[in-house]
Amino acid sequence: MFFQTRIKTAAIVILLGGLAIYASFAGYYGRELVIDAAALIILAISLDLVAGYGGMVSLCHGALFGVGAYVFASMTAILGVNPWLALPVAVCAGALFGFVVGAVTARTSGIFFIMATLAFGEMAYVYIFENRALGGDDGMSGVVRLDASWLGVDLNNSLTFAIFAIVLAAIAYVIAAFVLRSAFGRTLVGIHSNEQRMRALGLNVWRYKAGAFAISGALAGLAGTVAAQQTMFVSPQMLSWVTSGETLVVVILGGLGTLVGPAVGAVLVTFLEHQLSNLTAYWHMMMGLVLILVVLLGNRGAYGLLEDWLSRKRKPVPKQEPEPQIKQQDRAHA
Amino acid sequence: MSFWIVQTLNGLQLSMLLFLLSIGLTVIFGLMHFVNLAHGALYALGAYVGVSAFVATGYYWGAFVAAPVGVALAGIFLYLTLIRRMRDAGPMNQVLVTFGLIFVLHDLFRIVWGDYALSLPEPALFTGRTALLGVEYPTYRLFVIGLGLSVMAGLWVLFAKTQIGAMIRASVDNSDMASCLGINVDRLFFLVFCLGCALAGLAGVVAAPVLSVTPQMGTQILIPTLIVVVIGGLGSLRGAIAGSLLVGFLQTFGAVIAPQLASVTIYALLAAVLIFRPAGLFPAKG
Repeated sequence: MFFQTRIKTAAIVILLGGLAIYASFAGYYGRELVIDAAALIILAISLDLVAGYGGMVSLCHGALFGVGAYVFASMTAILGVNPWLALPVAVCAGALFGFVVGAVTARTSGIFFIMATLAFGEMAYVYIFENRALGGDDGMSGVVRLDASWLGVDLNNSLTFAIFAIVLAAIAYVIAAFVLRSAFGRTLVGIHSNEQRMRALGLNVWRYKAGAFAISGALAGLAGTVAAQQTMFVSPQMLSWVTSGETLVVVILGGLGTLVGPAVGAVLVTFLEHQLSNLTAYWHMMMGLVLILVVLLGNRGAYGLLEDWLSRKRKPVPKQEPEPQIKQQDRAHA
Repeated sequence: MSFWIVQTLNGLQLSMLLFLLSIGLTVIFGLMHFVNLAHGALYALGAYVGVSAFVATGYYWGAFVAAPVGVALAGIFLYLTLIRRMRDAGPMNQVLVTFGLIFVLHDLFRIVWGDYALSLPEPALFTGRTALLGVEYPTYRLFVIGLGLSVMAGLWVLFAKTQIGAMIRASVDNSDMASCLGINVDRLFFLVFCLGCALAGLAGVVAAPVLSVTPQMGTQILIPTLIVVVIGGLGSLRGAIAGSLLVGFLQTFGAVIAPQLASVTIYALLAAVLIFRPAGLFPAKG
């Protein structure tokens, strides 16, 4: 179950504050990295909501992300719609797509669920990849950023856009935390730990699953609009299952089912990728090895380990947060 | 008319390639509920080992033998170091570890064999074209079809007629019960895993002369293979046959009849199967 502990609050504030401070001192390239990280934070949080708390390991979050980006891009670049209108529409499109996927796949579980989400994600990917009106495999450029001049803010400046992206990441975290603390979120965790029992209690399970996927889709769509505005370009690669897989890796490295962990993972992966790809052309190999190691070591992730360490320091009592089922199975065979 | 015959043969050839890959994956899936996303990477490994063996021996048949053996050895190594630990770790952890394995193998291919596309020539025995049903068709592709059909027949005999096949079927159906009856399910799984790897290697070396050998070839074939496995039903030979024919023909004819819809159709089919028959068309368990 999710509790907004003091450790969590401190960690997310330090993380996002640190990003903001880094952005204000860094050069143009550093700011671009911060924006990358912020978009990835939002996407990873949206995935953790369904995978970590709902137990629904999705391989279509790249598609939700891409749908948000493409709706925003096509509305601003092709139709010339005001970005302030395109943003909520893109978020709603992500939510709608998420709702459909969640509703249709609610009956499946385990590997079948993973495959079903993969199918829906790839369907969206292939559709956009082959749709010439949306630029096909070349992608689409000419995306317009939000115009906040009425606030006296110029979002075409890299620093202001970086701060804007960090603020959106903070909002995404707060939304996810509120959802998880609500009765809805508690029920979702209940479905994860024992779906049979929740059904026996008279619950309409698919509604909760679809609802959770819709909220997750909205956040993923939001992440997509940030990414589209950053480079002012969208490509079908955003929707591919590799993006979804990499997002899952980010969540795992940071700590599945901790909500702060995915944000930590997003920052770690973004900056390490930048550092390591300067040093070696084989950065993916490093990431693969680290991923295998993290899973073999009990799947706590960077933030999970930090939390374990801090709570052990304070009192020898076991941690407050019960782990999702998968980890317990994992431990039994370690 | 001849156009359709050529397309049918193309579809059949793609189906056979998919069959060689999916049969290993599906039985591993069915036996131990193990999800091996790295199966595609093992197929690429087969193609690479084949290229190296060709360079070393100068014969296609050297590659043809070396690739399944090499990939099976790699499979044994992976089994002992990684797969054995992950067997009961749940689908998500398996997906993650084998996803990590894809990254590692992909970069390993780049380190050992370079970034450029390699090629493997056809064997001298099967170069040129053969007249068949009034069309000229590349002989090597006919060989691929024939090989696929013979592997299919061989596996059918293995599964349906031999004791070990009966043991595999029993373990897929109920592994607890099978081990109570004295079947060593672990060893069986190990055997099937090696066989699956060898077949993936075989698929790689067979595909190499038709396609080009790149680090990405494994990722490209992975998704269609997974679709075959899920459509057919986990753990069943019949399912793998039906699924690979369905996907192979749908992809080939779709690309000719309705190019815009072709790739979407496959995913739509998968989604439809998962919704209406979540266990696949021919599930191994009754």
